[in-house]
Amino acid sequence: MTAAETGGTDETAAAVETRETADGGQTRGFAEAARRVRAEAVAETRAFIRRRTAVFFTFFFPVFIVLIFGVLVKTGATGGLFSRPDTYYLPAYLGVVVVLTPLSRVGSTVARNRASRRFEKLATTPLSRLEWLSAHAAVNVALIGLAGVLLVGVLAAVGDLGAAPSLGGDALVVAFLVVGIALFCGLGSLIGSLADSEDGVIAASNAVGIPMVLLADTFVPASRLPAALRPVVDALPLTYFARGVRAAVAGGQLPTALSDLAILCGFAVALFALSARLLPWRE
Amino acid sequence: MSGHTAAESTRPAVTATAVRKQYGDTVAVRDVSLDVHEGEVFGLIGPNGAGKSTLLGLLTGTRIPTEGSVRVFGESPTAVDRSRMSVLPQEFSPHRRLSGRELVSYYAGLYPDPLSVDEVLDRVGLDAGDAATAYTDLSGGQQRRVCVGAALVNDPELLFLDEPTTGIDPAGRRDVWDLVDSLADGGTAVVLTTHYMAEAEHLADRVGLLTDGELVRVGPPRDLVQRFGGETRLAVRTERPRALDLDATPLDGRRYGDYEYRFFDAGPDDLTAMLDHLDAADIAYEEVSLVRPTLEDVYLNLASERGHDCIASAGPAGLAGNAEVTR
Repeated sequence: MTAAETGGTDETAAAVETRETADGGQTRGFAEAARRVRAEAVAETRAFIRRRTAVFFTFFFPVFIVLIFGVLVKTGATGGLFSRPDTYYLPAYLGVVVVLTPLSRVGSTVARNRASRRFEKLATTPLSRLEWLSAHAAVNVALIGLAGVLLVGVLAAVGDLGAAPSLGGDALVVAFLVVGIALFCGLGSLIGSLADSEDGVIAASNAVGIPMVLLADTFVPASRLPAALRPVVDALPLTYFARGVRAAVAGGQLPTALSDLAILCGFAVALFALSARLLPWRE
Repeated sequence: MSGHTAAESTRPAVTATAVRKQYGDTVAVRDVSLDVHEGEVFGLIGPNGAGKSTLLGLLTGTRIPTEGSVRVFGESPTAVDRSRMSVLPQEFSPHRRLSGRELVSYYAGLYPDPLSVDEVLDRVGLDAGDAATAYTDLSGGQQRRVCVGAALVNDPELLFLDEPTTGIDPAGRRDVWDLVDSLADGGTAVVLTTHYMAEAEHLADRVGLLTDGELVRVGPPRDLVQRFGGETRLAVRTERPRALDLDATPLDGRRYGDYEYRFFDAGPDDLTAMLDHLDAADIAYEEVSLVRPTLEDVYLNLASERGHDCIASAGPAGLAGNAEVTR
């Protein structure tokens, strides 16, 4: 074996060792990040469960929505409001929950954390802003996901959802819910970071969320809106949620659903990254 | 009293060099330089709005200096390993519906190698019953113990405490003092702000007086008291108004209001002489005391030099060390 070969062997061994060390460090870093996210998520879940009013409205808000719009306001096949099959409005009902609950919940949490100086404390711990937001998105995905299941159950009980969607359709709807909730958690966090108080968060959440719910091809088909509003409709992330869920539930429209899911993911990544960056961690 | 293991030979845990913080035209912190060493307790005192919390924010990295630099263990405070430091912000309020144990456990979960939750609860003096109680149902003092516990959970080498004993009863305050003492003795560098002069005098190895964002004096409390505290004074409070004829007293003095008299640069012999004089003149008195200057006098003297009308709190040990005769 030549010296060069020996050197080469040593270099290779060193390189392997370095790579293994780096891999080990990465694994350890990931495990520690997961531990921090878990700690934040557990604390947030405990805090949420003990706020009885918040629990009540998180789970019964969707039920109220279905009962009011799906049963009381419904005009049937004669035309007018809610004259289409219930399946058509499923994305709208889900959209209401997916938009409004995270906006107000995460926005208020951000405002509360800033006012109580919790962010100032967290900024000096190993927890990062992205980890904090991920923990809160995970908690909201679980809670609002449950609320969504409850909503579908109520709609199935009082309305007509038609044939059960396929397994693939179900999985797609779940994917839309997860991505949509995470997206609007990001938007809620952004509102919480920019508003100056919890009251401001609620006002801003309503100002952003309610028009979005009405315009995003949900209860009112985009074709019935003035042409001037179409670009606005196309710019709203909820539009892709509503259209994608509708396509997934209808079946046979997989490319459309996947395309909408991809666009929704794009919105989610952009908003999540922006809102994590703007969290009031430091001044 | 202070007297921890810190020495100039130990490494500085935190160093600020000509740090300035400006918001528009308002200068919140003005060219402050300081260093705090391992095992040292550094107390920041000053009037409301002097810039104490802003300076603390600059040292912890939660605020960015307009000019100057801060190094924590030789690194930028935002880049340093955050397991090595901890902060208890002023008016900090954790999740109100979580118990003390859950809160300490939560903060422990954010660090790679935290102390055990039981050990932290024990150190801050929370028994099992209090630790299981929701934060919102605890007394103010117990709540503050939980917050201090949250700040200790990573066994920090550098600890920032922004008014750690505000709202705590005297016994709880003593517990926190003991805790800070033991941390410093174990090598932890502690930077604390306080409005309680007795607290600063008791805990701090060095004190920095901040007024208008400027660190006007830094030194051990005893040195500051000797240099800027003024003279020992004799205070007399009579039972009847204007009972004492200052021309006839054995010391030069002044009357404050109708009942209070103060005689400056007095000693123990003067106390005896004054008591003899009061008895001889048959003047009824409520109190005669020899008042040694404290850090509070330093604070009041230096702050008033800079035009501040301060009302400092003497805290629980404000009159410690003073000879007093009451009738």
